[in-house]
Amino acid sequence: MSDDSGLWLLLAGPAGATALYWALYRFYRNTDKSHAFERETSIDAKPVTGSDAKVGNITGTQATRIQGDNVGAYRARVQRVASEAGRDVDDGAPGG
Amino acid sequence: MSDTKLPPPLPVRPVDGPGSPRDVPPLPGTLPVDPATLPGPIRDELEAPDPLAIDTSAGELKDGLNRCPKCGATDIRQRAGTDILVCMYCRNEWHGERVEEAFGFGEGIADLRGTVIASGARDIEADAASLMTFKCAGCGAEVTVNTESTMTARCHWCRHVFGVNEQIANGAVPDAVLPFYIRKDDAVARIRQFVDKRRMFALKAFKDEFTPENVVGVYLPYMIVDGSASASVAGKGEIKTRQYTRGTNNNKKTYYDADVYQIERHVEFTVDDLPLESSTERGNLDVNVNTNNIINTILPFDTKNAVKWNASYLSGFTSEKRNSNVQQLQPRLEDQLLSIARAQVDGSTRRYDRGVRWEQEQLDVHGTRWASMYLPVWLYSYHQPGKNGGLLHYIAVNGRTGETMGSVPVQQWKLLLAALTVGTFLEGIAIMILVGMS
Repeated sequence: MSDDSGLWLLLAGPAGATALYWALYRFYRNTDKSHAFERETSIDAKPVTGSDAKVGNITGTQATRIQGDNVGAYRARVQRVASEAGRDVDDGAPGG
Repeated sequence: MSDTKLPPPLPVRPVDGPGSPRDVPPLPGTLPVDPATLPGPIRDELEAPDPLAIDTSAGELKDGLNRCPKCGATDIRQRAGTDILVCMYCRNEWHGERVEEAFGFGEGIADLRGTVIASGARDIEADAASLMTFKCAGCGAEVTVNTESTMTARCHWCRHVFGVNEQIANGAVPDAVLPFYIRKDDAVARIRQFVDKRRMFALKAFKDEFTPENVVGVYLPYMIVDGSASASVAGKGEIKTRQYTRGTNNNKKTYYDADVYQIERHVEFTVDDLPLESSTERGNLDVNVNTNNIINTILPFDTKNAVKWNASYLSGFTSEKRNSNVQQLQPRLEDQLLSIARAQVDGSTRRYDRGVRWEQEQLDVHGTRWASMYLPVWLYSYHQPGKNGGLLHYIAVNGRTGETMGSVPVQQWKLLLAALTVGTFLEGIAIMILVGMS
């Protein structure tokens, strides 16, 4: 609230106009919709296993989140590592 | 003179021996060697069943005629809103067999190994034509069915109804069909309701031409995939350890300290009935060039209730033909399995309150089972003229659950005007506040 002159308030007009435009456009065109197969498919998963190892620390950053946070972006693909089982999928050995 | 009476030279002796075209191919299922003489592992592999493990073809319907079990008539329709078939001649009713029980889809997913393909999901042969001709068993006339868009036809002469029931190489006949539950008037009402909520900024031409009665029932081709997979992901996560502010009143800034962790997660899972569009056109979900994401959004269907293929369910509806094979859909399946894995491990990263950055992922698909299925969709379409041929907007209603989604073309100038008006209003308030402050 408290700041130098309050000039940031002038952004309210353009920001409001853009937000309204996009909100209405999406409501009409639904370009952001698709089948949520992550939730709506019947999935039977075994308990998640894994490891956590502390590798360092950060001091005095102003960022509120980790850089490149993609924990919720399930569909954003990251580097694909070749499967350890390779082509012999028949052995059923869990990779990693 | 004598030369001209000589017979022409003998043709060169054709090549024979192994591999020549004169070799008669062995009968299907026969081997040139006795498997009993071979080592165990090789014998097991030779004698193992073909990858085409599930034969879903309906032998009793091969001549194209689906006869009423009671009177033998062929004019058979689906009773609207049910899975029941009814004979239009004697009113006898019977129920299609559910594929879930008939072929064991949905069982033993965790034990799947390799790629199991039901017979309707086989590769489409490149030279397969779309037109199928039947010889009418009633009068001998020839009846043609165009499998691109329809699956049944009536003999002009004796009124026998023909359906494409035999699984032919052109990929038109799937393993199963999920009959329509939602009736046309219900679909019309849902589309009308959907558009009524979006009238203010809709394109004027769209509103003028809006006739939801023109909705068509279409059976769209999907591959229904069961799979067993395991996935691993690795990346970095951060946990906040301290938060503090520095600076004076007018220049306060918040700083954070955090611990950084290297995280690895592994999950094994099975998926049951994951639907993938098996028409290349429908599978293109790029929202910049089409509105197929609308049709994708009304997924999923209650595919557990699908019945054994029978073209009689399709009379009165159009259909689209599959043109993708299992191999072509594999990358999309892997992509979706990875997304599912990422969603599964999400819950185990809650302690990382500053978020996680996944950097690597790995997928092992242990086994998949593919079945080809026709799923029912009510489609209302509107073509908006424009650049590059314009854009085809759809409003789609799930023929089973009634879930409705659509794309309504917008009147850009109206939308811009509304946005500018609201923006100006907000700006006015902002200026008033600023003037009041100074």
